[in-house]
Amino acid sequence: MARSRLPCRGPFAGSRREFLQVGCLGGLGLSLGSLFRLQAARADTKTFQHFAGTARSVIHVWLPGGWAQQETFDPKPLAPLEYRGELGSIETNLPGVRFSEHLPKTARIADRITVIRSMTHGEAAHERGTHNMFTGYRPSPALTYPSFGSVVAHELGPRESLPPYVCLPNLPAPDAGAGYLGSAYGPFTLGSDPADPAFTVRDLALPGGVDPQRFAARQRLRDVVGRHFQRLEDTANLEAMDEFYARAYDLVSSERARAAFDIKAEPDTVRDEYGRHEAGQRMLLARRLVESGVRLVTLSYGGWDMHQKIREGITKTLPPFDQAYAALIRDLERRGLLDTTLVMVSSEFGRTPKINPDAGRDHWPKVFSVLLAGGGVKRGLVYGASDAIAAEPADNPLTVEDLATTVYHCLGIVADKELVAPGNRPVEIVDGGRVRNDLLA
Amino acid sequence: MPIVLVVVLVMACAIWSSVAHADAPVGIEVYPPQIRLDSARDRQRVLVQATFADGRTEHVAAPALRPSDPKFFAVDNGVLRPLADGAASLVVEHAGHLREIPVTVVSASSEPPLSFRLDVMPVFARAGCNMGSCHGAARGKDGFRLSLFGFDPAGDYHRITREFPGRRIDPGAPPESLLLQKATGAVPHTGGKRLEPTSDLAATLVRWIAAGAPDDPGPVARLVGLDLHPPTALIVGGDVRQPFVAVARFADGTDRDVTDLCWYGSNNDPTAKVSPEGFVTTGSRGEAFIMARYDTITVGSPVVVIPKDLAFSYPTESGGTWVDEFVDRKLRSLRIAPSPVCDDETFLRRVTLDLTGLVPTPGERSAFLADPRPDRRAHVVEELLGRKEFVELWVMKWAEILQIRTVTNEVSPKAVLLYHQWLDRRIAANEPVDRMVRDLISASGGTFTNPPTNYFQQERDTLKLAENVAQAFLGMRIQCAQCHNHPFDRWTMDDYYGFAAFFKQIARKRGDDPREFIVYDSGSGDVKHPVTGQVVQPKFLGGDAPKVTDRDRREALAAWITSPDNPYFARHVANVAWTHFFGRGIVHEPDDARVSNPPSNGPLLAELGRRFAASGWDFRRLVRDIVLSRTYQRSCETNATNRLDDVNFSHAAVRRIRAEVLLDVLAEVTDTKNKFPGLPLGARAVQVADGRTTNYFLTTFGRATRDDVCSCAVRMDPSLSQALHLLNGDAANDRIRQGGLVARQVDGGTPDSEIIDGLFVRCYGRMPTERERIETLAGVIGAPDRKAALEDVFWALLNSPEFIFNH
Repeated sequence: MARSRLPCRGPFAGSRREFLQVGCLGGLGLSLGSLFRLQAARADTKTFQHFAGTARSVIHVWLPGGWAQQETFDPKPLAPLEYRGELGSIETNLPGVRFSEHLPKTARIADRITVIRSMTHGEAAHERGTHNMFTGYRPSPALTYPSFGSVVAHELGPRESLPPYVCLPNLPAPDAGAGYLGSAYGPFTLGSDPADPAFTVRDLALPGGVDPQRFAARQRLRDVVGRHFQRLEDTANLEAMDEFYARAYDLVSSERARAAFDIKAEPDTVRDEYGRHEAGQRMLLARRLVESGVRLVTLSYGGWDMHQKIREGITKTLPPFDQAYAALIRDLERRGLLDTTLVMVSSEFGRTPKINPDAGRDHWPKVFSVLLAGGGVKRGLVYGASDAIAAEPADNPLTVEDLATTVYHCLGIVADKELVAPGNRPVEIVDGGRVRNDLLA
Repeated sequence: MPIVLVVVLVMACAIWSSVAHADAPVGIEVYPPQIRLDSARDRQRVLVQATFADGRTEHVAAPALRPSDPKFFAVDNGVLRPLADGAASLVVEHAGHLREIPVTVVSASSEPPLSFRLDVMPVFARAGCNMGSCHGAARGKDGFRLSLFGFDPAGDYHRITREFPGRRIDPGAPPESLLLQKATGAVPHTGGKRLEPTSDLAATLVRWIAAGAPDDPGPVARLVGLDLHPPTALIVGGDVRQPFVAVARFADGTDRDVTDLCWYGSNNDPTAKVSPEGFVTTGSRGEAFIMARYDTITVGSPVVVIPKDLAFSYPTESGGTWVDEFVDRKLRSLRIAPSPVCDDETFLRRVTLDLTGLVPTPGERSAFLADPRPDRRAHVVEELLGRKEFVELWVMKWAEILQIRTVTNEVSPKAVLLYHQWLDRRIAANEPVDRMVRDLISASGGTFTNPPTNYFQQERDTLKLAENVAQAFLGMRIQCAQCHNHPFDRWTMDDYYGFAAFFKQIARKRGDDPREFIVYDSGSGDVKHPVTGQVVQPKFLGGDAPKVTDRDRREALAAWITSPDNPYFARHVANVAWTHFFGRGIVHEPDDARVSNPPSNGPLLAELGRRFAASGWDFRRLVRDIVLSRTYQRSCETNATNRLDDVNFSHAAVRRIRAEVLLDVLAEVTDTKNKFPGLPLGARAVQVADGRTTNYFLTTFGRATRDDVCSCAVRMDPSLSQALHLLNGDAANDRIRQGGLVARQVDGGTPDSEIIDGLFVRCYGRMPTERERIETLAGVIGAPDRKAALEDVFWALLNSPEFIFNH
C-alpha cells in the first residue's frame, strides 16, 4: 500500500513531470487548482504500485450479441436434442475436451488456450451485460465506469508513439469508453475495417499534396504562430493539447508507428492464414498493433444474438472466427509473443439451455464461456464447468469481478486500487474481485 | 541550566508581549454564541476567536472564562458542565474585549439512558464502521453489514443484536463483545483498530451493551441542524492549530456538543489538514473547506491560510461593477492581486465568441477599434446581445439542459423540431426564465400541441426524471440518495423519494397522430420507500410537503422551483450563465451543488441569484451584468499571486472552444459552409435541434448526445483524434482549399504580407506581431509554391491554440 508516487499516472511522456500530474486530471474535468484537493481526497484511498505483469498487451476479441456456449466451446453432446441443438461436436487435442464441429482449427490449438466454461453474471439485457463484461462492474445509475482499455490507458499510458488503447473497427459499445476517466483515456477508433480493400485509418496519413517536407514546414509555421500565445501556457488544457499534438506528430511522422496500421504490409500468406474476412483481418491488424506497442486492442466480430435459426447463424459466423482465432494464437506463438500477449474472447452473455420455438436461443447470463490465452494464463486448461444442460455453473463459477481482477493482474495492475470519479469519489478499478491464481501459468 | 531556561522564558515573554502590543485584536468572537446544557451528562466546549484589523483571525488558546453565577454551571479547561437548573451567562475576557454568552441549564440532575440512534450509531459513523468500503457496503464486509452511513437504524439494530444471537454482543461481559473486540483490534479485524479500548467511544458501546443493548423505545429527537464553529477563519502562517466545535440541534429544542462524534474532512489537505478530533493544522497558502458530518448532516467552514510576513498590495483600479466588489473582496482576503483588464482586441474576440459563437469579422474588428466612445465595450455588448446568434447559442445551451433529442418510438423528429422552436421563441423574446421553466415542468397535453411535454416523453422513468429535474433546474445531483443517504450532502432517502413522488402520477397515451403522445396527470400512483416499504408523500427538497390532493403535483413543484424564495433555482441559472463566460462555475461543476462542494464565492453567487430573480428573471440582464464586469474582462496573463488561482476569477481562463462553435468558426474563417440534415446549407452547428444529429468533427470534439443530463457530457478535453483531425483531416486542409480565400488573393495580386495580416486578423482577431510577420513571410518567400506556402500559414493558424482556445 506504499504511496511512493503520485496515484494518478498520466498518459504522457515522462519528461513533463508537472503536466503528468495535472494532465491526468484534465480527463476528470479537473484543473491545476484541483490537484491538491484531489490529493487530499486521495489521502484515505487505496493506492498500489504497478508491478511487472506477465502480459505486455491485450487483444480483446468482443463477440457482440451474446454467443451460445453450447454451439461453441461448451457443447453438450450427451444432452437431449432440444438442449444440445442440432450441431455436433468434435474432439480436440486435449483428451476428453470437445468443441463445436465448426471449430476444427481451434480444436487443434486447444492445448495453447484456456477455455472458461463457468463465466456467470446476472444481467440478461445486452447493454447491461456488455457493461459488466467491459468494466467489471454492474451498471450504476450514478457513475459510468471505464472499460479495461481506458483503465489501462490511464494506468500505463502510451508506448512507442502509439495510442495505448485502440478499438477496431469502431467503438463496439458505449461501455468500451473511458467512463468517468474522461475522453483523454478513451480509445483511438479506426473508423474503417481492415477487411475492407479500401481500408485506411482516418486522418493518419498526410492529406493529398502534403509530403513530409511540406508537413515539416507546416510544423515550423505552427511553432511560429503559436509562440506568442505560449507565454500563457501554464494551463493544463493547453499543455494537454500540446501533448496530443506532439503525439499526433509522432504518430504521423513515425513510419514504424503508422506502419502498425498498414495491414497491406503483411504477406499474403499470413493474410490468407487469418482469412480474408472481418474476423481474420481484424485479428491480424490487432496483432500488428500490439506488436508495435499498443497496450490494448478491442476488436469486435459478428452478430451473435441468435434468437432464431441458431444453426444457420453459427454455421455462418463461427468458421471465420475459428480460422482467425487459431491463426492468431499460432502467429503469436511463432513470433514469441504469446507469453506476453493476453488474448481474451468474451461476449455479454451466453444463451438459453433449451432451443426456442424459433430454433434459436435467448439471452442467458447464468453460465457461458470465455477464452483466455497467452499473457501468463495456463495453456490447455478447461476452467470450471457448466451443468449437464449448460444452465448453471457446476464448478468454479467465475464472476465478472474475478475475471477483470485477473486480467488486470496479468497486466501488473492491482484492481483494488482506487481511481477518482467526479466529486472526488474514490472508486476501485474493480470492486471486490480476486485474482484466480488457478488460471495463471 | 536554570539560567538558560530563565533567559529563554524571558525572551519568549518579550517576543510575546511585543507581538501583543504591536497588533491588538479589534474584537473577539465566542462560539457557540449561546449555550444550553440539558442533562447531567451534557458538556459544551467553548471557542474564542480573536479578529484583527486586517481581517485575520486567531484562536485564543487559554481565554479567561467564568460563569456570571457559579451556582448553575462550572467551567473546566474551556468546557462547561451543568450544576443546577437556571439561567446565567458565561463571561469571556481577552485582550481588553469582554463578551457575555447566555447559558441555560435544564435537567441538570437527570441522566437519560443511552440511545441507540443518538449515542451508539454515531460511534459507528465516527469510527468509519459504516463506510462504503467497510460494513456499509451493499453486501457488508466479512459477513457483517451496517447500512451505509446509517440510513437504516432499525436494520442496523437488528443486525447487531439479533442477526446472530450471542455473537456480536455479550451483555454478560460487555467488553468481551465481538463488536468491541473487533473495533478495538483485540481480535483480528480486516478494518484494523478503529477505536482505542480506553476511549469514550468504546466506553459508550460498553455501557450500552451493559444496559442490555436496548433499542430506542420510540422515535428519538430528530436532528434538524449542525453548527460548525468557527464559521470561518483567516489564519496567518503554517503549522497553526485551530480547533473546531460542532453542535447538533434537535427538533425538541435540545442541542448537543458532538465535536467528538463527527467525521471531519478537508477538501484541501496541503492548506489545512483536520484531525479526527476536529483540530485543523494549517499548511501552505490557499483556501480549504473544513467539513464535519454528524448523522445525515454535513456542514463546513472555509479556512484561508496566508503566508507570514507577506508583502502584498492590492492594485488600485477604477470603474468596476457590483460583481467586481464581491470578487475583489474575496481576492483581497486571499491576498491575490488580479490580472489587469485585457486589451480591446482580446476583449472583442472573447466576447464575440461567448455571446454569439462566432469570431469577429475583420470589418467588425476595425469598426470596434475605430469607435471613439469610451464605453465602446458596453456598446458592442449591447449590439451582440441583440443578434440572432446570441439566441441560437442559448437555445443550444438550454436544449442541452433539457436533453432535446429524438428517442426511438417516443420522441419523433417532428416533436424535436417543435420542442426546439418552442424554446427558440421563448429565448428570442427574452421571456422570464422562471415562466419558461414553470411552463415546462407543469406541461400537460400533446407533444405536438404543447411541445415542452416532450420533456416527460424523453424520460419516462420516474426516478430518473426526478434526478434530471433536480440536476437541470436546481443544480443538484441527488442520485446517491436513491440507495443510501448522501454522505456528503444533506439529502436522505426520504428526501429523494419525496421528490420523486412529484413525478409518479405522470401518464402518457398516444395522440391522434401516431407520432404524438399526450402527457397528463393520472391522479394515481405512489412512490414507496425501499427500506420501510411505506408510501412517501411528495416533499420539496429541503422544504415542505405541499398539499397536492386535487391538483397536478407538477404544478406545485413548478411553483416551488421557480419561486423567488427558492434558494437554489436562481443561483443555479446564474451559475450556469457564469460558467459559460468563465469556463468554471462559482459552484463547479455547475450542476453539482452540494454541502461538500461549496461555491468559491458564496456571497457573489447569492447576489447574482438575488438580482436575477429581482430583475424579473431577465436573462439578458444577467448576461450583461457578467460581461460588463471588470472580472470578465481581465487578461489571461497571470502574476505571481494569481498564477495558481483558478477558482476565484482573478484572471481570465484559457478555454477550449466547444465543438459546435469551433466547427462554425472554422467555416466562418475559411469561408466555407456546413450542411446538417434538415437545415439549409450554411446553417450553423449551433442551430442543430436534435442531440442525435452529429458528424465526425462534432463527436470528436466532444459534442454531447444529450442522453445524459450531466453538464459533464459536453467534453472539452483534448484527444489524439482531435489533433489528427485538425492536422490531416478535412477540417482544416479541405476547407482552406474549398474556401479559396488564399487562392483568390494570390490571384488578385495581393502582396504576401497583406495576405498574412488578413489571415491573422481572421483567425486571431489581431494583427501579427512584427516577428510573426517576418518569420511567416520567411516561410513564404522562396517557397516553390507561393499559394501552398500561404495556405500552410493558414493551416498553422487553424491548428494553433490561440485559435482553438478562447482567451
